[in-house]
Amino acid sequence: MSDLSRDEVRGMMADVLTKQGKTLPAGDTTPLDEIGFRSLDFSELALRVEDEVDAELNFDAPGLREIRTVGDVLDFIDQLLTA
Amino acid sequence: MSDTEPIGPATCVLVSGGSRGLGLTIVRSVLDKGAKVAAFARTVTPGMTELAETYPDRVFVGSVDATDAAAATRFIKDAAAHLGPIDALVNNAAIGQDSLHVHTSPERIDAIISTNLTAPLVLTRAVLRHIMSRGGRGRVVNVTSICAQRGYAGLVAYSATKGGLDAATRALAREMHGRVLVNSVAPGFFASEMSSVLGPNQLDTITRRTPSGRLVEPANVVPVVEMLLFADTNVNGQVIVLDGGGGI
Repeated sequence: MSDLSRDEVRGMMADVLTKQGKTLPAGDTTPLDEIGFRSLDFSELALRVEDEVDAELNFDAPGLREIRTVGDVLDFIDQLLTA
Repeated sequence: MSDTEPIGPATCVLVSGGSRGLGLTIVRSVLDKGAKVAAFARTVTPGMTELAETYPDRVFVGSVDATDAAAATRFIKDAAAHLGPIDALVNNAAIGQDSLHVHTSPERIDAIISTNLTAPLVLTRAVLRHIMSRGGRGRVVNVTSICAQRGYAGLVAYSATKGGLDAATRALAREMHGRVLVNSVAPGFFASEMSSVLGPNQLDTITRRTPSGRLVEPANVVPVVEMLLFADTNVNGQVIVLDGGGGI
C-alpha cells in the first residue's frame, strides 16, 4: 500500500504524544499504559497514517486489544499497511 | 372475528437466523410448544437438518441470505405450502460488530444495516402481507439488544440497527391496530459473547454490577419469546429488556 517506514510511523506516534505533553521513549518495549497512549490515541495515529498513504486502514477491535507496547503499535500499523 | 378479541397463540412461526445459538434454541422451543416452525439461515446446520428430519410435517428449513428479499419471499411461499399459513415471525438473524466507528468501513456499515435493519423490515413486510392476505392475525417478535438503549464502544452501527428495530416495533404495533402483536426482546450481552472479548477480571466486574448477579444466557430469552408468541398477555409495541437489571 505504501512504503511508509517504521521510523516515519514512530515519528507520527511521537507527534500524537507530544501534542499531549507526553514523550515517546526510544525503545519498543515500553508498555503503552506507562506513557499514557490510549486506544483513541491509536485511532488518531491510524488516521494520520491513512492521510499519509491516502487509503483507509479499517480494522476490528480484537486486534487492538492485543496491543501492549510501543513495538506492538508499530507492528500493528505495519501489518495494516502491508495487508 | 373482531380485531379486539385476543390474538390466539402462534401456530406456525418463521424464525430467521435459526441455525445455531439463540435462533436454534427458539426453533426448538416453538416445537416444544406444539407449533410448526419454518427456519432459515445463510447455511443450514446439522441441528436444523436433524429437526427437519425428526419432524418432517412440522419443520421446514432452508438456506436463505436474509438480505436477499426475493429468496426470503420464496421461502415464505415454500414454507407455507409445506406447513400451512405462517402466523408469526421471530426476527433473529443479525451480524455483529466489534470495531470503532472511525475504523469501520462504509461497506461494513452498509452490511450491518442491510442485515440487521433492512432485512428484518423487508421480511416483516412479507410475512404481514402473507398474514393479511389470508385475513389472518399474528405476532412478530424482534430480537434486538440492550445496545439500543445504552452506549457501548465498538457497536455504533449495530446499536443503530437495533434502536431502529425497536422504533419500528412501536410504529408497527400502532399500524397493525391489534391485528398483529409486535414486540421486541432486548437481551444484554450473553456471557459467552462477553468472555470472547473481555478478560476474567472485566467479566467479574460487569457481573458484580448486574443486580441479579449473573449475565444473561440464551435460555433466559426463550421463555420471554415464548410468552410473546403464545400467551394472551396484551403486551404490544414493547421492548422487553433481559439483562439482569444491568441497564437500570
